[in-house]
Amino acid sequence: MTTSFMDVDVRPTLRAGGEPFGEIMAAIAKLQPGQGLRLLATFEPVPLFHVLGSKGFSHKAKEIGGGDWEVLFSPAAAATPADATPAKPASDTSAWPSPVQEMDNRDLDPPEPMVRILAATEAMANGEVLSALLCREPMFLLPELAKRGHAWRGAFEPDGKTYKILIRVGAAKEAA
Amino acid sequence: MVGVALSRWTMSYFATAVLALIAAEGLMLAGIGYPHAAMAAPASLLLVHLVAIGWLSLLMCGALFQFVPVLVNRPLHSNTLPLPTLILLIAGLAALLLGFAQLGGTIQTPFGFFPAAAILLGAGFVLVLWNLGRTLWAARPLPLPARFVVVGLCSLAAAVFLGIIFALVLGGVATKPHLLDVTALGLPIHVIAGLGGWLTFTAFGVSYRLLAMFMLAPELEGRTTRGALYVGSIALAVAIVGGMAAICTSTNVIWPIGAGGILGLLALALYGGDIQHLYRARKRRVIELNSRMAGVALANLAATILLGIALLLAGRFNDHVGVIVFLVAFAWLSGFGLAKLYKIVAFLTWLECYGPVLGKTATPRVQDLVTEPRAQKWFALYFVAVWIAALALLFAMPLLLFRVGVGAMGLATIGIGIQLMRTRRLANVAPALRLPKGTQPPHLLHSSVQPS
Repeated sequence: MTTSFMDVDVRPTLRAGGEPFGEIMAAIAKLQPGQGLRLLATFEPVPLFHVLGSKGFSHKAKEIGGGDWEVLFSPAAAATPADATPAKPASDTSAWPSPVQEMDNRDLDPPEPMVRILAATEAMANGEVLSALLCREPMFLLPELAKRGHAWRGAFEPDGKTYKILIRVGAAKEAA
Repeated sequence: MVGVALSRWTMSYFATAVLALIAAEGLMLAGIGYPHAAMAAPASLLLVHLVAIGWLSLLMCGALFQFVPVLVNRPLHSNTLPLPTLILLIAGLAALLLGFAQLGGTIQTPFGFFPAAAILLGAGFVLVLWNLGRTLWAARPLPLPARFVVVGLCSLAAAVFLGIIFALVLGGVATKPHLLDVTALGLPIHVIAGLGGWLTFTAFGVSYRLLAMFMLAPELEGRTTRGALYVGSIALAVAIVGGMAAICTSTNVIWPIGAGGILGLLALALYGGDIQHLYRARKRRVIELNSRMAGVALANLAATILLGIALLLAGRFNDHVGVIVFLVAFAWLSGFGLAKLYKIVAFLTWLECYGPVLGKTATPRVQDLVTEPRAQKWFALYFVAVWIAALALLFAMPLLLFRVGVGAMGLATIGIGIQLMRTRRLANVAPALRLPKGTQPPHLLHSSVQPS
């Protein structure tokens, strides 16, 4: 299946310190049925994957040099996997900075992933983002994150087996 | 998606459940009920319900109040309801046991206990079904393990419904001929719904998730798992609904029960294959005591089924139905329950006590809350004792040997119970690490739910 893509380059907006979310959503609204979106950004816009995933778009991201990323969002006819959970909290749809730390916790015994994540967030500054891969939704971690005032966005990757969570330290406290 | 809080009253359910198991083992040691009395004697029924409701059902309810939210990623509908529920269930069980004691002439009172038991247990289990049912309903579409729990809860409803009819008839309140028929013929259906549908099928659903979680094995959602769910559900429906229909239409109940049994074997085979796959495909090579002991209990289940088939083929099943019930209750369900309890208590206690300070200060690991070598001895004693008692029953050996077996089971249960208390009290944790700044020692019987 060939999909035509509308180009949206948000790199100038990002470099100017701006917020491209509205721009991207405006472009999405203008897409023809079956048309996809080719996004150029200065970082891998992981939060956007979940937002657009919940709107039925699958994505292919690749680094194109200079730290820039090209992401192809295709309208998935068969929609998202049934167990894909939309990103939360939904009210906060602004773009987050790229993670300062990434960890792969998929092969750790529970509750080791939770221990590592909380240890990492304690060492991070307010506003910084941690990215972690898990093999299931971290149900007992989330109340602890909320209590400590961190915001998070998480969802299963398209493979349905890896759960990716982004945690922004102190962000819930600021919003409150 | 806000994650899952600690279930406030689960530890009270667990504590009551373990005490009920120890009490039941004490009764068997004292020679009360089966095999010293007939299987259907009032003393045997008292014993069976102390185990089925007091131990296994309270254990299962306490576990489900914590783990249904984990299975469906939703908070429990009500975290306060489980306490009044527990009080109703304990009061109802006490009334039921007194009712059986009355039936056997052990105690004499001017009023009957059975109607009170029917009301109290009925109300308690309705609250269980309401609370878990609302939680599950809000989480549709349900993941596969949760669907096993739904079928288990439907079976619980059937078992309780029949139990209420029995209690009202035995208490002399209900005298309709249909209800008398149900009481006369419905016992096998009540047992299948309770031990098979509610306890075993629910344990299947929970085991899919817990074993995968603690052994780092892949979550199973394939054809065999769906097959186990569908075939098992149909088997239970045929046996329970078909059995009730047969009673109401004066047909022999052996037909629906036999058909359900054959389908049930197929479901068990599918489940057995899945579980073998889970153990083989695990990423974690060295598994903890709870997974090893759960494996022993699962092997016991397989052996019990083979024994049941052999007895059926030899035409001796009716002579030995007591052995089969004993093995299902103690070798399989109790063994599995104790094994998982050993992990769940440690995990929940760790989370309650150290969760708030993780990353802020040095904290013990979950495994620091337990001393597996010590607990392993008690588990080994428990299983060997169950086998000895079962063999004594099977080969009609002197009852003294059975009593030695159940006495050792009781001792082992007390040993495991003490280990669980030590875990809850953080007694196994090195004193320097036990209570870092910002932590509170957990209460023995309830969990402080973290405000978020």
